[in-house]
Amino acid sequence: MTKVAALAALAVALALSVVVAVAAGAVPLAPGDVVRALLGGGDAGASAIVRELRLPRVLAAALVGGALAVAGALLQGLLRNPLADPYVTGTAAGAALGAVVAIAAFGGALLSAPLAFAGALVAALLVWRIARVGGRVTTLTVLLAGVVLTSFAGAVVTLLLVANDRLALRLRAVVDVLVGGVTARGATELAVAALVVATGVGWALVLARRLDAYAFGEETAATLGVDTERTTASVLGATALLTGAAVALAGMVAFVGLVVPHVLRGVVGASHRALVAACFLGGAAALVLADLGARTVLAPVELPVGVVTGLVGAPFFLSLLARTARRSA
Amino acid sequence: MVLVIRLTRRALLLVALLLPVACAPGTGAPAPTPAPTTAAFPARVVDFQGRDVVVAGAPQRIVSIGPSNTEFLFALGVGDRVVGTDDFSDEPAAARAAEKVGGVKVNLEKVLALRPDLVVTVQISDGTIERLAAASLTVLVVDPQGLSDVARSAILLGRAVGADGERLARDVTRRLDAVREKTKALATRPRVFHEVDATDPAKPFTVGPGSFVHDLIELAGGTNVAARAASPYPQLSAEELVRSDPEVIVLADADYGVTPEQVAARPGWGATSAVRNKRVVPVSANLVSRPGPRVAEAAELLARTFHPTAFR
Repeated sequence: MTKVAALAALAVALALSVVVAVAAGAVPLAPGDVVRALLGGGDAGASAIVRELRLPRVLAAALVGGALAVAGALLQGLLRNPLADPYVTGTAAGAALGAVVAIAAFGGALLSAPLAFAGALVAALLVWRIARVGGRVTTLTVLLAGVVLTSFAGAVVTLLLVANDRLALRLRAVVDVLVGGVTARGATELAVAALVVATGVGWALVLARRLDAYAFGEETAATLGVDTERTTASVLGATALLTGAAVALAGMVAFVGLVVPHVLRGVVGASHRALVAACFLGGAAALVLADLGARTVLAPVELPVGVVTGLVGAPFFLSLLARTARRSA
Repeated sequence: MVLVIRLTRRALLLVALLLPVACAPGTGAPAPTPAPTTAAFPARVVDFQGRDVVVAGAPQRIVSIGPSNTEFLFALGVGDRVVGTDDFSDEPAAARAAEKVGGVKVNLEKVLALRPDLVVTVQISDGTIERLAAASLTVLVVDPQGLSDVARSAILLGRAVGADGERLARDVTRRLDAVREKTKALATRPRVFHEVDATDPAKPFTVGPGSFVHDLIELAGGTNVAARAASPYPQLSAEELVRSDPEVIVLADADYGVTPEQVAARPGWGATSAVRNKRVVPVSANLVSRPGPRVAEAAELLARTFHPTAFR
């Protein structure tokens, strides 16, 4: 399959999953009612359900999935390691801590987006500072620092939960951040998130060529004229932007950033420009479908989407580990 | 990631613990105070967990866990013997002065340090009750869930502390019956959505069959839109809520700062009759969400809300 054909197929898959996800939901609606609601007609109830609840939620899921997959592609390229993603490197934990602090200190969702981004950025910078030894970043240190940072962020969240009465009463909001769940968003919130994700994806496309040079190692990249230190910082910045936006919208949704880039690298090849584009489309489609599953599998009970991605992603991650281990044995 | 999962389980456990005990703060007047009577001690009673409990003598130092239990004890006229309560017991005002023994998690040492001769508690599934009993304390589990449990709680507590619980039970039942009689005759029963928590407005928590608030709504002449839910405190999807089109929305989370304006601004909610006709009503959760001696007051408030002309 050529890259163009693959990208076209992914775009079609995304469009189809959006259509299916808007058509299905907790309340069964006839296809005609859904179409009428989308065109601005129909009865008030159906119109509110489709236009104010389903469509924004599906779009939010698409943004989150796309952002996480692109962030994963960037990190895997930078670290030349298929096991890298915003969760392994501690970026997501930093973002989640930021979002929880927003709930603890201000009680509302208003500041959760900027604080999630700030948390992601601080975590990414910290990992980068620690892992940069003698002018180069060692993968192992990045992963270890990420693990430690994730534990630390988890401990701080627990501390806040136990010590803060107000937070205890807002437990469900905290749980939403920790288990991951897409929810309907207002138009403004969605527009801001779309802008941030678009910026992150655009940045990723700009960085793509430089990441290609990393394929044979950071030193080779440096001899090819790539400013590796600046590239690393840029990649971590873009990752923080994308992860912060995703966590602010939907909490901790694991494995999308890990699995999607890995699968798509096999389809579109290692060139990062095509990979980033494919990851956005594929990640978006994957999370739209995962959220559809979360809404419908146990209906009327709704699963957090993080449970669905975890159930699918964890076995995949393990098989990946097993295969990597066998190859190096 | 392991840590996040562990954390989440912990958080869910906390939520599970919070739900029965911590349903809110606020104000309101206690029921009239019947004087303690001399009753037969040792008193033998069977509590809500089916445990045989023997209260040796009239209790003088009572620890009360669960806001409804604290309200019952004060309504029975033995409030001055309550030496400790959970953090959420804020009614009546005098109860706030008692020593606090913890909220979500009861502090066993604090309870023991108060040297209680009776511990009255709601059901707690983390082993606290067993540990208190193992420390040779007299523990009575009183955990009203449905509306009919309220009278039973009053009678049980009355016998355990040597007060006239029968009279309190009769008072409450009489007032509830009066509301029921009046609403039975009414032609309309508005569809009601009772909001317990809508931190995520896409999946608000409400009340279903098995909870006393559901019983209260039906008694007060409303139709609970979650009447077919499978659990006492179900989560409704916003889609189902919009489809069920409630005519009245009761905000039992108003004490947490939720306002009718916020409800109107939530995605999709603006389409409901309640929002369009401005019938989104904040209520004090500590009145409406507690199966205590003030349930009749709560029933009257809800009836006035659903039928403003009939209950003036």
